[in-house]
Amino acid sequence: MKLITLVAKVDKEKCTGCKTCAKVCPTVAIEIVDRKAVINEELCRGCGNCNQRCPVYAVTMEKLEKPYKVSVAVEDVPYEKIDELCKKALLNPEQIICYCTATRAEEVAAAVLKGAKSPEELSQLTGVRTGCKVECIQPMLRLLEAHGVTPVPPEGGYQWYGRTPTIWDIPEEVKKKYSSRGFYFDEDIKLLNKVKDTRKEEK
Amino acid sequence: MLRKPITPQKPRVSQYGVDPKYVTKRVAEYPEITSVMLSDLFPDTPKVIYPSEKGIAAVREAAEKALENIDMSMIKPGDSVNVCASHHGFTLLGGEPYAELLRTVRDVIARKTGTDNIRLRAGVGLRFRETEEYIKAFKLDEHYKGKARGVAPVDEGIPIETEIGTLYGIKAIYDADWIVHVHNSDVREVHFHRQVDRAVKPFGMSYARIETRSTYHQNLGPRGANFTARSIFASEFVQSKFAFTAFLDMSPVGVVGVDADNDLYALNDRLTVAGCKYYGKIMTLLGQIDECIAALDFPCPVPYVFAAGVIYANFVGANVDLFDLEGDLPPYTWYTEAFYGKDGKPLIEGVPPVNPAIKMCVQNYGWGGYPSAFFSEHIPTIVVGREQAEVMNRDPQNIEYMSHAVIADNLDTAMAFAYKTTKTDKVIIFDGAAGGINVSESLAKFLIEKAPYVNKLVDEELLPKWLCQRGVDPEVLKNFK
Ligand code: SF4
Ligand code: SF4
Repeated sequence: MKLITLVAKVDKEKCTGCKTCAKVCPTVAIEIVDRKAVINEELCRGCGNCNQRCPVYAVTMEKLEKPYKVSVAVEDVPYEKIDELCKKALLNPEQIICYCTATRAEEVAAAVLKGAKSPEELSQLTGVRTGCKVECIQPMLRLLEAHGVTPVPPEGGYQWYGRTPTIWDIPEEVKKKYSSRGFYFDEDIKLLNKVKDTRKEEK
Repeated sequence: MLRKPITPQKPRVSQYGVDPKYVTKRVAEYPEITSVMLSDLFPDTPKVIYPSEKGIAAVREAAEKALENIDMSMIKPGDSVNVCASHHGFTLLGGEPYAELLRTVRDVIARKTGTDNIRLRAGVGLRFRETEEYIKAFKLDEHYKGKARGVAPVDEGIPIETEIGTLYGIKAIYDADWIVHVHNSDVREVHFHRQVDRAVKPFGMSYARIETRSTYHQNLGPRGANFTARSIFASEFVQSKFAFTAFLDMSPVGVVGVDADNDLYALNDRLTVAGCKYYGKIMTLLGQIDECIAALDFPCPVPYVFAAGVIYANFVGANVDLFDLEGDLPPYTWYTEAFYGKDGKPLIEGVPPVNPAIKMCVQNYGWGGYPSAFFSEHIPTIVVGREQAEVMNRDPQNIEYMSHAVIADNLDTAMAFAYKTTKTDKVIIFDGAAGGINVSESLAKFLIEKAPYVNKLVDEELLPKWLCQRGVDPEVLKNFK
């Protein structure tokens, strides 16, 4: 869930049509029309990526007169399904996966179960990956993959490239090689297993 | 031992913080504030080359000397070289020492190798234009002949095959024949990297794409996280481009020197020891504080403001020994934050609370640009000035920060409220004071009293344990300079 308070605006005079903003927009809200960036304000989630990467400083962030919330109702999906999907993605449904918006795995799982097919759709629907734009891409990809969805990155974009390994994937010989240097892999696996397997009511 | 307050670091013009004109008063200006030098607390506090009478020339001199014996023969005239830097260095002592190191590295490469195709590529944390601001402020674009740019984790990436699978780096970091890694040894985010492979961290962070950084903070664990950095650095691809490294050797009191090496792991081993020793002591001492008001007054995001070389995020976790790898979760890391449920309570047993000694936080000056709602949610926080509150409200990473904080019109009312409600007169100021720490007189006396105990505890018990946990024989301490 995210409260959307900002929207991006392009200064057409300054814009050179370089497409950088479109390549970094996590909600694919930007199109280049007649060599100028055009923002679909319905899809903009106010993340500021375009503003932060435009090489000629053509994008400003403006405050919305009427902020609005984007969220997916967890109640719309049977909770066992959410729980099952999170478990498959090795996440606890209640854990936060997007720190800027405090969005929990269960909401993103609900969005996936309701049919979201890509990180871009998840960002549009829940606001995840529209704060820092950095830290939450992996749990999003893990949840999609756990549901059998194989998303394809936006063509020519830099939004994301692929899922990466988790601690459960680290080969034994690699763990052995580095364990004496202060990497406590097996102990961390134990901790993360405890998190993914504990449910509040059981506790 | 009590002295007059040390001059705090000046506010900085930045899109991530409030305009310096709104920082009308500094917390260190109050009559009850005094300072303690770290050398008065710990007898083994190292001598520094900066700040010193020699000024910034001392950094250049140390850098030239350290780079003298570095093998640069792999770089041929005409080869391209990326000098890779990170935002963090510019937050140390006003930024000039790190900027001077970056200038010197360029000059020495040009002189020793004959190449002129030397670019500065400066990575960031979560403020994508931050190093762009430093490049301008320190005129590094001029020094690098127009070849200086900030790079961000959302810029075009490249896959890097590692021992654990594919990770992703920023293309512009690696688009040269050779890369040179220029960083600093300040421990900073001990809660994240746990002083394990500290020197390697930027390869998994400021030089890395979002996929890798998300791996660090979501896919590995609180003690395995920094392995992303080692995996990337150890990859064939990065090894084929890596020429050498140069570090600003830091201590909580300032720049100790410049270290350089063709072998990053060798340098890493040296700074593992120094980091545990010097920062371990002050962090352990700050962990002893029983009650206080924490005042933030520094040009950095909330968790990164400094007191005695320690960042606020580490003080928030100082009730736990962050260097001890037996402890799994620090009171603050993103893993910890993730594990708080909807009712505000931890999902599992054993999550340590944030430092209960911090009774209130007064944010006189601190930036946005880092997801900080955890801090205002867990610690009563007063933000000074509506303008500053507005900076947080306009920050997509801090939409909820002000939902948990209150606003005071000015610093006087904020401090009066803090004293009255917390009923403590102990104040610690995170204002980047160099060489020591600005605190209230009551806290100064407390620290002076506790320091001998901490000194002994770290030297005799904790330091040997920390080193063993990192595969370092504590015997190295005998020859440690
Ligand atoms: S990044 Fe800036 S210049 Fe390039 S298309 Fe977008 S708005 Fe225009
Ligand atoms: S979602 Fe972000 S990148 Fe996309 S248009 Fe809005 S502010 Fe720009």
